[in-house]
Amino acid sequence: MSDNREVNSIQNNPDPNYWRSFEELYRNEKTLKARHHEFAEGVTDDFDPNENLSGISRRKFLALLGASAALAGVACSDYRDKGEIVPYNVKPEEIILGRPNFYASTCTACANSCGILIKTREGRPIKVDGNPEHPVNQGKICAKGQANILNLYDPERLQQPLKKSSTGFDNIEWKKADSDIIASLSMAGSKEIAIVTHTITSPTFLKVLEDFKAKFPTTKIYSYELFNSSARNSAWTKCYGSGNFPLIKWNEAKVILALESDFLGVEGNRVENSRMFAEGRDVNSKSFNRLYVIESSMTLTGMNADYRMRLKPEAQFAFVMSLINELNRKGAISASIASNYSLDEFVKKNNLDKERVNHLLNDLIANKGKAIIHAGDLMPENVHIAVNILNELLGNKNLYRTDSASVNLLNLSSLDEVKELTDKMRNNQVAVVIHLDCNPVYHFPNDLNYKELLTKVPTVVTLTERMNETAQFSSYILPLNHNFESWGDSKTRTGVISLQQPVIAPLHNTRQKESILLTWISTSPDTYTETLYHDFLMKNWETNIYPTLKSRIEFKQLWFGALHDGFALTNEAGQNFSSINLTGLNLTETKFNSEAMTLVLRESYQVGDGRFANNGWLQELPHPVSKITWDNYAAISHNTAKALDVQNDDLVEVSVGDRKLTLPVFIQAGNADNTITIELGYGREFSGIVASGVGFNANTLLSSKPEFSQWVYTNATIIKAGGKYPLASTQEHHAFDNPRIQDLHLKRHIIQEGTVALYEKKSDFIQEHRPKELESVYTPFQYNEMKWGMAIDLNKCLGCGDCIVACNVENNVPVVGKDQVLKSREMQWLRIDRYYSGSPDDPRVSMQPMLCQHCDQAPCENVCPVVATTHSPDGLNQMVYNRCVGTRYCSNNCPYKVRRFNFFNFRDHFRDGYQESSILTLMFNPEVTVRSRGVMEKCTFCVQRIEEARSEAARKGIPIKGTDVKTACQEACPTNAIHFGDINGKDSEFYKYRNHELGYYVLEELNVRPNVTYIAKLRNIHTEEL
Amino acid sequence: MHIDYSQEAPAIAGRLTISQIEELVARPLDTKPDRKYFIALSISGSLLLLGAICLGISFYYGIGLWGNNQPVGWAVPIVNFVFWVGIGHAGTLISAILFLLRQKWRTGIARFAEAMTIFAVICAGIFPIIHTGRPWLAGYLIPYPNQHSLWVNFTSPLLWDVFAVSTYFTVSLVFWYIGLIPDFATLRDRTTSKLKKTIYSIFSLGWRHSSRHWQHYEKAYMLLAGFATPLVLSVHTIVSFDFAVSILPGWHTTIFPPYFVAGAIFSGFAMVVTVLVFVRKIFNLENIITLDHLEKMNKVILATGMMVGYAYGMEFFIAWYSGVQAEQFVFINRAFGPYAWAYWIMVSCNVIFPQLFWFRKFRRSIPVMFVIVILVNVGMWFERFVITVTSLHRDFLPSSWAYYKPTFFDMGILLGSFGLFFTLVILFTKSLPVVSISEVKAVADGAQPTHRGGHHE
Repeated sequence: MSDNREVNSIQNNPDPNYWRSFEELYRNEKTLKARHHEFAEGVTDDFDPNENLSGISRRKFLALLGASAALAGVACSDYRDKGEIVPYNVKPEEIILGRPNFYASTCTACANSCGILIKTREGRPIKVDGNPEHPVNQGKICAKGQANILNLYDPERLQQPLKKSSTGFDNIEWKKADSDIIASLSMAGSKEIAIVTHTITSPTFLKVLEDFKAKFPTTKIYSYELFNSSARNSAWTKCYGSGNFPLIKWNEAKVILALESDFLGVEGNRVENSRMFAEGRDVNSKSFNRLYVIESSMTLTGMNADYRMRLKPEAQFAFVMSLINELNRKGAISASIASNYSLDEFVKKNNLDKERVNHLLNDLIANKGKAIIHAGDLMPENVHIAVNILNELLGNKNLYRTDSASVNLLNLSSLDEVKELTDKMRNNQVAVVIHLDCNPVYHFPNDLNYKELLTKVPTVVTLTERMNETAQFSSYILPLNHNFESWGDSKTRTGVISLQQPVIAPLHNTRQKESILLTWISTSPDTYTETLYHDFLMKNWETNIYPTLKSRIEFKQLWFGALHDGFALTNEAGQNFSSINLTGLNLTETKFNSEAMTLVLRESYQVGDGRFANNGWLQELPHPVSKITWDNYAAISHNTAKALDVQNDDLVEVSVGDRKLTLPVFIQAGNADNTITIELGYGREFSGIVASGVGFNANTLLSSKPEFSQWVYTNATIIKAGGKYPLASTQEHHAFDNPRIQDLHLKRHIIQEGTVALYEKKSDFIQEHRPKELESVYTPFQYNEMKWGMAIDLNKCLGCGDCIVACNVENNVPVVGKDQVLKSREMQWLRIDRYYSGSPDDPRVSMQPMLCQHCDQAPCENVCPVVATTHSPDGLNQMVYNRCVGTRYCSNNCPYKVRRFNFFNFRDHFRDGYQESSILTLMFNPEVTVRSRGVMEKCTFCVQRIEEARSEAARKGIPIKGTDVKTACQEACPTNAIHFGDINGKDSEFYKYRNHELGYYVLEELNVRPNVTYIAKLRNIHTEEL
Repeated sequence: MHIDYSQEAPAIAGRLTISQIEELVARPLDTKPDRKYFIALSISGSLLLLGAICLGISFYYGIGLWGNNQPVGWAVPIVNFVFWVGIGHAGTLISAILFLLRQKWRTGIARFAEAMTIFAVICAGIFPIIHTGRPWLAGYLIPYPNQHSLWVNFTSPLLWDVFAVSTYFTVSLVFWYIGLIPDFATLRDRTTSKLKKTIYSIFSLGWRHSSRHWQHYEKAYMLLAGFATPLVLSVHTIVSFDFAVSILPGWHTTIFPPYFVAGAIFSGFAMVVTVLVFVRKIFNLENIITLDHLEKMNKVILATGMMVGYAYGMEFFIAWYSGVQAEQFVFINRAFGPYAWAYWIMVSCNVIFPQLFWFRKFRRSIPVMFVIVILVNVGMWFERFVITVTSLHRDFLPSSWAYYKPTFFDMGILLGSFGLFFTLVILFTKSLPVVSISEVKAVADGAQPTHRGGHHE
């Protein structure tokens, strides 16, 4: 049809203005047809296999020739077998390929037992978040809990039971190991069987231990924690008759006085504390608590203080007593116990800021019943007692939570009890020592000689996930399941029991510790089945826990409901506190010499007590204060450093008595003079490629007979040792007295801050400094529909770094190692900038999470020569990894320097290609490309989550909303400082923050138009001016 | 001292006859290379090998072997690139602009300077490719039609670089070759070796020294000179855009194009003097590359050095005048921050030492000028280092600052580029006439018609 039409139209046209031949000029029909068909007849025939081969056209022949050559080429080429892809024969219920499943469980990374939600893809866990329904942590989980997933896939987990031989450790069958150990246990006779463990939080595990004790009556259980609340416990026992000290309503406190207490950093349930604390600092309700921190080392809590004062830890008792006396003198309370103390003298002697102390006094008086004084775990008993008295006298008991109280299933063993164990070991009275997932050789003070004494015990069994110092001295090493491969339950406070369920079958030939003990209790190695503990747990719940719950639904229903939710609520009574019993309280002061050096040993923010030392993500997580990674150090004040004549990175020798340690020094702004702070958890040995040789083992400075506190030693000395040791920090350290650099973050309006008083007077004071938006000669792109943006409330950001780890896990961010951090090549997409202003003694600290700002006029985009970084119509600045050639021009032109470059194949670069081991690849988020060497990368605003939400919305046939997407950092932030959503979604919560009167953009004057809004921090101080 | 300004000094000293000139220039091509030649070649070859090995290892493991880090995305490789592009500028200036300005003294040095241009651009051209994270994808920078409909980004100065440098290289090469044609013919006529004759015959394109040839040649040469002249300005202008178009304080400066061009001529002349000092001695060309020529070049060095110095000062002034804190900080930080050492090396080498050229005695003293031009070379390398690294290492957010240290591989590749350059120079001296025979003949005494035995007015 159409052919003819064209021929006709040509024929009808009398005057062709061009022609190629006379036939064409004279409109020969055949020629016209031929002209219309591009190829001559026969050339374009379809291939007909029935046709004779001789009838084949030239074109067909060439096609066949090419195809056969290609086939031959492919057939003969070296085909790399990438393994089989086998479809599910029977598809497991609930698994849809490409869609994640979530399971509620309980985190066992520390003794706080937060509820978690584990995201699995095709049966493998890839991400951990807080369980949003869990009453304690309410959807949030700390960095350690997030990074715990790396422990599951750690290539260095023990995969087989091991038995010590003359040459080392040999593989052994479970059955053989079990029967050997059962024999040893049975033959213990009157000798002790010692079980050493961390805090017991599981009621069912406690039941297992009781059964074990019943079976082997000489058993004694020693539970310990390197960092614990024992002093607080005993203080409460003395004051109120029960060691179950209360939880605190941080959210209701108007004034908080933290005495050497890092309740936002490492003490108690940090996630819960942070959330409740930040609830009390809300710009929308304009309610602000006031945080006073008096401490020796600069801590996470100290960084967030409205008023901070430096004080040596041993002076805290006198401070509280002086405070009591002064309040008594002012008539605010009536107490005669502290009449020997004078606050004025104390302030003078310890060089405290008089004005701040007066503010504190007035605030405590004005906020009776609405203030809380909190002493840290490191403080000895008498400080806690004095604090209890003061809280009681001020009526601050109101802020003790009565709805829920902490529960100790089994009290921790005291140092004396541990000493009894070592004495028995010395006297050959111990037949078997069982280490249940703990590391006493590393944790116990060296003067207990625990390591040496282990050799006197005939059978030492260590149950552990990975090799450690204790396992090295064991006859048997039994590999344990990871948290995510195990069943369990946990009760750390009244009102709730959490349940733990496995989300993946054991990756290796491992068992969970409860099953191992149950097998031994049965005295037959054949008892073991994979469901052994599962059955026991269920039975224990049915017989012991279910009745106490007084539930009206039947057990099975409750059980599966609780498994689904991750916890079961119990209606236990809360806690009530009688009046304090003042008689017989020990209120004598430990005398000390204020000129002597005090050593403070603290828990590491990153690796805890060393349990997480083999976790690269945590090792590389910058210290929240110093921003140092991969090391611990001796933090001292700049005055002390001057006196010692040392600089950052200089090696010093710290000694307490005859215990010595050489480690590098770090000059920490805000540290108390003559105080050395060292974090524990480093200097691990035999613990894998990542942990071994990282940092310094300061546990060697611990004493089993502490005079003041187990973690504070008042008789330390420090001398310059000579030599240097480079500390890898993600942020440069600048001299405080350099006028060119000082307060640059304020001069450049990177950090914009105000005070609550100023805000109340003039709520738009931030907007006054904001530059006007410049006119553009071009019409800017109109974002009429969806446009993604973020708002970060700096009032709530505490600088903990949980968001960094969450981002690492979500986005497959590699660990680069200390050498690369030293070269300033860390790969974290999100960093928390920390700025100091003021003097090095008394700095004001500002935190600022910094990530890609997804600028509307992104300077990175126009300089990329190959358009590898582009802008999406919904306002995202995108990276096209495949197109990127790695010129790094984008990074140079990024004013925020948030782009990260793969200088190496970082997964290969780490020692021994550790990160390329096949098991670690299971951990990757399949929705996020694993970047190769030479490619630029950066924060994507979790574009994979946006796309998932988009397809979900499309499936439902509704438009996507800003609230449909939560970024990984937002999800992780314990204080909900991060808000994400649609800039054009006018009725959303996010919109309020995006257009907040305290909102500003960083480097706004560059006119790059960022899409991350920062809500200026307000300090709750008594003046309008900072 | 009495100087007679009424008469131009002869471009060629020693009253050489035309055949003597030919003999002098062509002699190195007729003799076998001696021991010294091989020693020189082995030194430069070793450097080249060192660079090649460093580069090979960098390719294998990734450019993480270099010192580049998070704020300092560009460092020594880009410094080298700008440095070598700058070196190239002297050749084009001498051969094109001085030709158009009828500067006869250029004839003795033009050929060599042009050759150095080409070699320097070869050295320079390597760096933009190798400095990328994935050099095997360098083809992405070329706008070629493809099935993915992917196109390059014409707003990126790096892309302008691709065109600027490749154009520059092409034009320089053609210009150089055109100039060589009459000499190829001369060599063809002189040589007795069959092989050489064949090669020279091919490259001389049938040149017969006929008037017609000369007429066409002169016209073509002039056209190409006119064509190359804007390139002298444009190439380094575009290279400076790599920095000036960004928003980084210390880079984002409108003074960059002229400042870079002046700097390029400055460094290029210094490099030409560095090499010529040896060449005129070794090949007995003192009469063709005279002290007068060197003095004139030193004058250019003095002039451009002061332009560069002016730019240094003006940058500070504008930073202060702008009132932009970040801008002011960058310049203060350059002079007094962690890289102050580099800054003061730059200032002393580029601004202070060349001032000695105000004195005629120093301008005409070979040892003095040699020391100064070496310092200028060093100083100009540091100028690019200061611009590139000190601006990046401390930019807007103090939280992202970091110090940059080059590694062994950075330095190995830098030395390798010198190795490549000098290897090419050394090979050139033995394979092609280092001075344009035909042009020198044309400016020799008595070669041109004169009035009253004097020079043509």
